[in-house]
Amino acid sequence: MSRWRYLAQRIAMSVPVVFSVITFLFLVLRLGPLDPIAARLGQNAQGANVQRLREEIGLDDPLWEQFADYLVETVTFSGESWVVRNGTDVSDMLLEVAGPTIWLGVWAIVLPLFIGLPLGFYAGLHPNSASDIMANVTGIIWRSMPNFWLAVLALAFLRSTGNGSGPFGFDWYTFGPTTQSAVGTPNLDFATIGDVFGAPMLTGMDWSAFFVDVKLILPAAIILGSSSMAAELRLGRTAVLENVNSNYVETAKAKGLKGRTIVWKHVFRNALIPLVPIVTNEAFILIGGSVIMEQIFNINGLGRMYFRAIQTADVPLAGSIVFLFTVIIIFLNILQDILYTIIDPRVGYDQ
Amino acid sequence: MSRNADGSKPDRTRRRLLAALGGSASVALAGCSAIFGGDDEDGEDGGETPTPSGDGEDGEDGGSSDGEDGEDGGSSDGEDGEDGGDMTHADKAQAAWETVANNPSPKDQDLRNEAYVEIEEAVRDDMVMINFAHDITENFWYPKVDWDRTGALGGSYHQHKTTSVEGSDRLQLVNSTNSSLDPVESDDTASATVIHKCYDKLVHYPQGVPELQNQVLDSFELSDDGLTYTFSLKEGVMFQNGDELTASDVKYTIRRLAEADQSVRAEFVFDAPNGAGIAHETETVTDDEGNESEEVVPDSLAIEIVDDYTLKVTTEVPNPAVMDVLTYQAFGILPEGLIGDIEGYDGEVGVDTLRTQQTFGTGPWQLESWSQNEEMLLSRFDDYYGSTAEQAEIIYRIVEDPEPRWTLILEENLDIFSIPTSFYNRNNYTVNETDDRGRGVGTYYLEQNDVDLGYQRFTSLVTRYFGFNVANTERPVRKAIAYVLGQNEINDQVFEGRKEPAFSFTPPSIWPTGTDGYDQWVSEWPYGTEDEPGASNVQAATQLLEENNIEETEFTVTTYKSPTYQDAAALVRDKLASTSVNFTLEEAAFSDLIQRGYDGDLQMYSLGWAWSWESVAYGHFGFEPKNTDTSGMPEDNNGYYLDWHVNLSENQ
Repeated sequence: MSRWRYLAQRIAMSVPVVFSVITFLFLVLRLGPLDPIAARLGQNAQGANVQRLREEIGLDDPLWEQFADYLVETVTFSGESWVVRNGTDVSDMLLEVAGPTIWLGVWAIVLPLFIGLPLGFYAGLHPNSASDIMANVTGIIWRSMPNFWLAVLALAFLRSTGNGSGPFGFDWYTFGPTTQSAVGTPNLDFATIGDVFGAPMLTGMDWSAFFVDVKLILPAAIILGSSSMAAELRLGRTAVLENVNSNYVETAKAKGLKGRTIVWKHVFRNALIPLVPIVTNEAFILIGGSVIMEQIFNINGLGRMYFRAIQTADVPLAGSIVFLFTVIIIFLNILQDILYTIIDPRVGYDQ
Repeated sequence: MSRNADGSKPDRTRRRLLAALGGSASVALAGCSAIFGGDDEDGEDGGETPTPSGDGEDGEDGGSSDGEDGEDGGSSDGEDGEDGGDMTHADKAQAAWETVANNPSPKDQDLRNEAYVEIEEAVRDDMVMINFAHDITENFWYPKVDWDRTGALGGSYHQHKTTSVEGSDRLQLVNSTNSSLDPVESDDTASATVIHKCYDKLVHYPQGVPELQNQVLDSFELSDDGLTYTFSLKEGVMFQNGDELTASDVKYTIRRLAEADQSVRAEFVFDAPNGAGIAHETETVTDDEGNESEEVVPDSLAIEIVDDYTLKVTTEVPNPAVMDVLTYQAFGILPEGLIGDIEGYDGEVGVDTLRTQQTFGTGPWQLESWSQNEEMLLSRFDDYYGSTAEQAEIIYRIVEDPEPRWTLILEENLDIFSIPTSFYNRNNYTVNETDDRGRGVGTYYLEQNDVDLGYQRFTSLVTRYFGFNVANTERPVRKAIAYVLGQNEINDQVFEGRKEPAFSFTPPSIWPTGTDGYDQWVSEWPYGTEDEPGASNVQAATQLLEENNIEETEFTVTTYKSPTYQDAAALVRDKLASTSVNFTLEEAAFSDLIQRGYDGDLQMYSLGWAWSWESVAYGHFGFEPKNTDTSGMPEDNNGYYLDWHVNLSENQ
């Protein structure tokens, strides 16, 4: 079976998954106790207005008709929000808040990758040394702390450092670029996109704005990435250990290869294989975790909007966000399978 | 019934009105408190509300009513004499409500106030509803802020014209998320907070203090028949787009509220007394699918423009609440013809501009920028007709979660705020003085920043209660529950002291006979113990049940899904354990609870009521016994789900 055929098969198989996810969401929201009309009209809602609004958003149509509309609107992102920002196009809303979430996600993936992996590899190359034990123990502790708890603690610490009252005179607000608050949404307007020969290109960079945005997202990103950072550390260590003690390393040594070459060219490459699913699985954590992080750090992103949409039974908006999340996860799953074959040619698609 | 005097629209005159508040949830989810309101079942029930049964106990209930008062002993309220021989409590309430409805003129205020107290007495003595908590609002501010305190109607009315912050041009406030600044479309507190600042109305409650003050209105006269209001407007009032305000703008504004499709409060134009009750014509409209509905005829409202600064508004029936209703933010005045969503106008701007991009009112503030769900910036409107605001800008930080709110507070990124309950320490506040409106002012010690914050505490216009369906419950049982309830204990254990124990439906700040009258009312409270009205008195309850030979009785309380109401009900259950009443707790989704209320299928239920304006009537209309008949709900009756009409002598 060729790689392309495999890809097509995987995509076809994902259709029922997407369908059941968005159907389930529809059922939960429409048949559950949440009421978009109540959310929109408030406590003293009265009959005539309730009725008019029900008709306006089509709650009195037959359920299958509502479902059909919902399906089409969801997969084409053409719906209009019912409650959160009633009457606004869902696609506009998603575009508006996607930025901060992507920004958060990128840093939450990059940071653990560049901290967790090197630490793990280092620990694996120096097994049972003091630094290995250090890295391992901190990794385990780090991983056992739940995100939401860590976030609350971190925020309490950061806000207590105002006016240099943190340990050793540390002051988060003046550390690096000065910021007014430890919470908030990054502006993300540091890059100037200009027209170069007819194509939009990056023409300018406002580095101070860039660093402010990084600083705003940093605590949330570190905490969001914390559990995967620890996972990468521990798995990286195991993978390296396993490879270092395997026969081909022995052979390479016998052939007279230099230690550095063995490690960089062979051990690392083989050690990466079990790490691929860890890194792609992170995406799941990021999507779920962004809801909590954005709530605590007051970041106006997809996660917070999703939370509001669910709370207020804003079916079109919640549906579109869930659809987006599902598609991302399925895409990452497929990407993971493809990556396997690239990193390890021994893995193929034949039975 | 004066409200039915108008034969042409029986549906309009009695429209259901319901309200409910979440327990702590409504506080925690500030902007989302709306979740807990509304009615899901409206479309489905199509008028087939079953008639409640339970006639069996009518006889014992009504007949023995007067004799029982005497036995109660503790409740010697001295009004037994007035009641007259065969008058039941329900009769008394019915008569009192009719007094209110038939005497709408301002000079009859005392008469109405007496009637309001009589309604409260009837509710108390027949025990059809046990109120247990009024909400408390607390405000905190850094010492650098100088501002006029908020009144009982809440901070959304506060215009912050005289508020000043030492060393800053900018006032930093917190708000919840909202989606639209179109006055007729925005019913939530977060939107109201901004709309009241950008759109002036005819009249206003300054800082939320329940005392009417003119905004663009210069003066008004009420005709002798109590129907026609002649409004004279101030001259030289400028809109933010540079036009001058005239009478036609006011008419356009009210017409939009009544006729525009997206208006969510059209009944505030039509209904009385929970609305202005302006005369109008209706027509039957058939939509594409053949459904018929009654709609207002475009431009049929009885509003007559006399000249540029004078207009006459005629109400359907005399209505004491007209001026109060006009303070609602949906009456925020727009320039005529701004939006083309009612007949006769093409519109100058699209409705989206009004909703999210620009404000067009005559208020002291105008929208500068709004980054949805992040922050909103208002700037001072320099051509404001009154004295312009002190500060140059207001920034609203839009935050709902307690963690970031608390962070912003400690960082001094908020000037006036409320402290989330999870970070609140009830030992840290001291009240130094209480003003004549019952507002306590003092300090709150903020440990983290080692600073004494300004502090204000007052009872807001929200009441939480347990109602009884009279047809399904026996009076001795209702009274026994009132005895054991113990408002003080509920307040202390369930609400952490952040509520005020309630002894009446009407909150103390708008009690018809003033603060002294309210104190007397509480001291005469017949339930509880002799020294402490808010205490739980199991002994008296047991005795009462025994005297009335109440055998083992199954009794169910239905609360909607809210831990606080459940906890309150559980306290009552524990107290009743030693009596013959087997009290069980039941939870229902909000819309189910409402539907069962309509069906007359409840025994005891929990809900809340919030006042949109300061009027005792906007709360008491739901007690009129005939209006509590659930068989007419939701079409004809909009009272509480009490079925109190069964106790009227005419029904016995």
